[in-house]
Amino acid sequence: MQHPRDRFSRRFTRRDFLRKAGGTAIAVPSLAAILAACGKPGSSAGSGGATGPTGGTGGRILARPDNPVTLPLNRDPIPTDTPIESGTLRVYNWSDYLYKKVVKGFEEQYGVTVEVTTYNNMEEGIQKLVAGQVQADVFFPTTDYISRLVETDLIQPLNHDLVPNLEANYWQSFWDPGPWYDTGWLYTVPYTIYTTGVAYRRDRVTDDEAAAASYELFFDPRFSGAVSYYDSYRDALGMMMLRNGSTDPNTEDPTVIEAAKDAVLQMITDNDARLTINGTYSKLPEGEFSVSQAWSGDIVGAQWYLPKGTGTEVLGYWYPPDQKGLIGNDTITIPTVAESPRLAHEFLNFLLDAEWGYVNFRDWNGYQPPMTSIVPERLIDEGVVPENLPLAVVSEENFTLGYTQGELSAEADALWLGAWSEIQAGG
Amino acid sequence: MDSSTEAEPGGRRRRGRGLAPARSGVSYPRWYWPSFTAPGLLWLAVLFVLPFYVVLSVAFGTVEPLFRTPLPVYQFWWWDFATFAQTAERFYAGDRIYLDPLVRTLIYVLLASLICLVLGYAVAYYTARFAGKRRGLILILLVTPFWISYLMRIYAWQSMLQPDGYINDLVGVFGVAPIEWLAGKPVTVVLGLVYGYIPFMILPLFAFLDRIPQSVLEAGRDLGASPFQTFRQVTLPLSRPGILAGLVIVSLPMFGDYYTNDLLGSESTSMYGNLIDNAVGSAGQGPEAGSLVLILIVIVMIPMLYYLRSTRRATEGAA
Repeated sequence: MQHPRDRFSRRFTRRDFLRKAGGTAIAVPSLAAILAACGKPGSSAGSGGATGPTGGTGGRILARPDNPVTLPLNRDPIPTDTPIESGTLRVYNWSDYLYKKVVKGFEEQYGVTVEVTTYNNMEEGIQKLVAGQVQADVFFPTTDYISRLVETDLIQPLNHDLVPNLEANYWQSFWDPGPWYDTGWLYTVPYTIYTTGVAYRRDRVTDDEAAAASYELFFDPRFSGAVSYYDSYRDALGMMMLRNGSTDPNTEDPTVIEAAKDAVLQMITDNDARLTINGTYSKLPEGEFSVSQAWSGDIVGAQWYLPKGTGTEVLGYWYPPDQKGLIGNDTITIPTVAESPRLAHEFLNFLLDAEWGYVNFRDWNGYQPPMTSIVPERLIDEGVVPENLPLAVVSEENFTLGYTQGELSAEADALWLGAWSEIQAGG
Repeated sequence: MDSSTEAEPGGRRRRGRGLAPARSGVSYPRWYWPSFTAPGLLWLAVLFVLPFYVVLSVAFGTVEPLFRTPLPVYQFWWWDFATFAQTAERFYAGDRIYLDPLVRTLIYVLLASLICLVLGYAVAYYTARFAGKRRGLILILLVTPFWISYLMRIYAWQSMLQPDGYINDLVGVFGVAPIEWLAGKPVTVVLGLVYGYIPFMILPLFAFLDRIPQSVLEAGRDLGASPFQTFRQVTLPLSRPGILAGLVIVSLPMFGDYYTNDLLGSESTSMYGNLIDNAVGSAGQGPEAGSLVLILIVIVMIPMLYYLRSTRRATEGAA
C-alpha cells in the first residue's frame, strides 16, 4: 500500500500531519544530485546546525505571537507589470485540500491548465520540495516552516499589488501588520484557520457536562475505549500542556513536556484512548467514539459522515470559553523555482476571492478561510455549520487570544519527539 | 535447486567447470546457461541491492540541519555509525521504547504464524487429499480476497469489529457484552495478522501435500499404521519443507508489518514495524529509522538462516 495510509476518503489525508504515509519516504535524490555531492552531506558551511541563543535554529529567531518576525528579503518581488504567463500552473498541496471546481474556475478564467501535485503530510511535502523532486508554482506550508523556507531561499516574496483580495476580504490581523510568523506578509497569505478543542457526541454527553469537564472529558471512565486523540505530536502534547495549566504550547521545559506525555499515556492506558487522524470527522459521527480531540474544521466536516437517519444535533464541540485554546492556520506561498510567478500571484488572489474562497470552504474543504464576510451567523443561517456547533466557527478574537504553535528549536523538538516515541511505543 | 551442484545420472556431481551439460551432442559456451539468470540478477540489483544501499546510506547518514529531513550519505567512506550504535545500545540496555514493541512483535508473530499453520494445514490437507473436483474452486476462493486491496478488507473488519458491529452482534447472541475489539486488544492484532497472511501459508502447504504420492500413504496403511500414525509418520515429515516454507513466508513480512496494528490496534499493541514507521515520519529520526531497519534484518536473518539450513539438508538428503 502506500498501504493503509492510502487515503480513500476525500478528507482523510487533509490534516494527516504525521508519519501517516508510507509515503513519508526517504527522498532519494536524483542521480545528478548524488554525483554532485562530493563533500560530506550536511557538513557544508552554513548548514552546521549552529546553536546559540536561538537554540539550534541556525541563528534564526523563533517567531512567536509575542515575538513577531519580519523575514529578510532574499530578492525583490516580481514587478507588477510582469505579464501573466500562459500554459500550466503547478500547485503543490495537501491531498484533498482544494476543491476541483475552484481549480476549474481558475483554469477557465485564465485559459490555463492547473496541475495539482499532492503530499500526505508536511514532512513529505517539505522533503520533496527541498530535494527538488517537485517543482511548483504554488505551495501550501504550515506556519512553522516559513522561516526555514525563507532561509533556504525556497519561497519568494510576494508583490502585494498583485494580491489585493487579502486586504479587501481578510481579517486585518493577517495583513496589518501581518501574521507573527511573517510580519508585513512578505512571503505568505493565509489559507485556512482552525481551533483545536474537544468534540463529543451530544447523545452521550450533554453540552453542560462537556463544558464542566473540558479537557478532563478524555479521562472520563464512562467513555473508556471510545476516546480518540490526534496522532499529531504538537497537537496531542500541546493540548495536555494547557490541561496541565501551562500556557506555552511551544515550551522547551522537559518537566512540562514530561507531564503532558504522562497525561496522554494515562489516557491511553487507563481509558483505552486511541491515536487517530480520522477519529473526529469519520469515527465520531459513525458512533465509534464518544469523545475526540478535534480541529474545528474536522467537526464541521463530521456532518457529512453521519449515518443515514442520524441528525447533526448529535455533534458537539467544546473550546475554552475564555478563548485560551490551541489555534492554527495554514498558508499559501510561491516557491522560488516557480516558472509562472505572475500566474501564481493570480492564483493566490483567486483563492482569496470572497466567493471562490467561500465555495472552497463550504462545498469541499470544511476548513474556514479568515474572511471578514464569514461570520458565525452567516454560516449557521446558511446551514454550513450546524447550529449546535457555534464554537466550531473561528472568530478573529480566537486569533488574538488563542495559543498558537510555532517552530521549535532542534533540541526542543527532539524532546517533544522523544516523549512522543514513548507514547507510540505504548508507554 | 543449485544447478551447479546438480547430480547427473550415475551420481557424478558437476561443479560448474567446463561446458554446461550437453544435450543431444550440442555444446554451449560457458556463459550460455548462466546468462539466463541475467534478468533475475538485474531485477534483484535494481529492486533489492540499490534500495538496500539507500537504507544503509540513510542509517549511516545524517539529517539536514534546518528541516531535519534524512540526508543519505552515499559515499560509504563518510558513513557515521554513531546513531546505529546508539540505537543498538538502547535495545541492549533494555530501553522499553524499543524493547516493548520488539517483544510484542515476537509474541504476535509467533502466535499468528502458529495459528496460520494449524488453520492453513487443515485447509491445505483437505484441498490436496479430499477436495476432488472442488479443488480448483477452493484454490480460486483462496486467491479471491487478493482481488480486493488489503486496506479495503481491513476497513471492512474495522467496521465489523466496532462496538455496534456485526461481531459484537454475534457474540451478543451468547450473552456476551459488547467488546471493544479495536481499543488495543492483542487478540485483534494477532487475528488480523492471521487474516492477512494465511493464504501465503496455505498455498505452499498445498503444493507440498499435493506432491505426496498416494502410494506412500497406502504403503503406510498396508504396514499396519493407523490413519493418525500414517499422518504423523508419513504425511507430516514429508510436508515439513512446506511447513517451513509457509512459516518463513508468513512470519518474515509479519515482522515488518505495521499497518495491521495501525488499523486494528492502538499504541498499547504497537509493533516493531510501527517503531520504524514512526521514526520515518519524525523530524531528525531518519538515521534512527534506517538503523531500526538494519536491526530488524539481523533479527529476521535467524529464522531465514534456519530455513536455508533445513532446506539444504533436505536437498542433500534427497540427493
